[in-house]
Amino acid sequence: MAKFPSVVWFDAVRKVFNGDESYQGAGGGQCNCVAGMKVGNKIFILTFEGLECIDARDGKDKDLEEVDFYLDMPIADWRAMLKNIAENNRATRDCTLNTLDLDREDGLSTSRHGDQYREDLFFRYNQTFQFFFDASARVKTSY
Amino acid sequence: MEPVLDMQLDWMDQQGSWGAAAEPSKQGLTLADIQVGAYGDVPEESDNMTGRPRGAGARPESYRIGGYSVRSKHEIWLENASFLYEEALQRQWSSATDVPWDSIEPLPDDIEQAECQLATFLTEVEFVAGDVPARWISQTTPDYFEPRNVLLAQVMDEARHMDVFRKRALANGGGLMGATGGTAGVVGSIDLARDFTEMSSRLHISGEGAVLTIFRMGELMAYNEAEKAMYRLCAQDEARHVAFGVMHMRYMSETAPERREEIDCYLDEAERQILAGSQNPAGAQAESSESLAILLGGGKDQYDEGVNKLIAIRRRQLQEYQKRVRSAGFGERFDNGRSPIKEMLAASAA
Repeated sequence: MAKFPSVVWFDAVRKVFNGDESYQGAGGGQCNCVAGMKVGNKIFILTFEGLECIDARDGKDKDLEEVDFYLDMPIADWRAMLKNIAENNRATRDCTLNTLDLDREDGLSTSRHGDQYREDLFFRYNQTFQFFFDASARVKTSY
Repeated sequence: MEPVLDMQLDWMDQQGSWGAAAEPSKQGLTLADIQVGAYGDVPEESDNMTGRPRGAGARPESYRIGGYSVRSKHEIWLENASFLYEEALQRQWSSATDVPWDSIEPLPDDIEQAECQLATFLTEVEFVAGDVPARWISQTTPDYFEPRNVLLAQVMDEARHMDVFRKRALANGGGLMGATGGTAGVVGSIDLARDFTEMSSRLHISGEGAVLTIFRMGELMAYNEAEKAMYRLCAQDEARHVAFGVMHMRYMSETAPERREEIDCYLDEAERQILAGSQNPAGAQAESSESLAILLGGGKDQYDEGVNKLIAIRRRQLQEYQKRVRSAGFGERFDNGRSPIKEMLAASAA
């Protein structure tokens, strides 16, 4: 059982994601970026390189200035998304990352640098990030 | 045993730099990994008119097989072309098997008709998005094969987009609707560009940037998992094409600053048209905007709600366009009053 949010939880998801080759096709695959995850007040930094998510670590607010983009949601919304994924084995219609991004006035994905080329990486690799969080369906999660 | 037949072997004297031993990186043997020695030297100007692969020995008696008009590096180059190419190859998907077509169920007539109208429009537009870069591939010297390869991959992407929207139109009891004329006017004029950067600014930055927003918004107007997947996967490809345009414009701006005013003129033209005409279904006067609003609202009865969501799409298109042009190095146009985008944003908020 891994507690969300924590590096242990992200590491457990990384292990499932990196070990499942089906996530490397079907629109997934090579992905190179550093993404921040802001879960309430907690910050995590994920590094994607090639076909894998190679690192997950705790971050500080200052780290959000460096990442290509970061996803920012209140903790209740993160939980709702992960519960939907756990119940359906993947995100269903209203809980995909892209839909959550569109549903918010300021979007789910944002950046401090404002460089749209780097912010566009969220769109360019969107299926990979979706696969990553979909992999959490196979991680026993506590909150 | 000595061969009986005569051998010339003079071809053995004709070679490029010898002794290359490129090694795979973590992501396999990529184009970036084989930029070794002279093979990594990209000429600023190319006199290669014979189709000779970059780095190969020249064949003096060769015919001119290519009428290459793009022979200056700054005209087409971008720093991450080989990276985008590898990414394009690796992130391909199949419209036949990666879209869960069995999730589509019968829809109310007005929704199905609107879906088919949008699919017809997008099929039209994707024809242009494939045809135009294809023409420039054959115009570019083989010495700049990296951007050529990205464009080749784009043509494949656009073929898939064209087929996936056609499949959607024919998958649920509907069919293709009337052609919208979306490829006339501004979209059609992309193909009239005499210069690669002119074409790229119209196609990659303004055109595909606007379509990228619509593809992303596709998830908001999806009525089943198939439509959701279709739009999401198309958006990924489109973001890669937009990245090509942004990075090329950035390179052009840095290496050929004397062309900045000319490029600003291309952007002036694009911005005058971005919300006008029939080329942008999220635009103010687009024929296809009604179908988009019906899909977004949830039917003819919720048309007003759909229009409000459409206005939100319009705002996102303009905001993202503005930030991409800034990223490409042309942000001052938004600060010095040259661009009408700020006024357009204000008008769409009113």
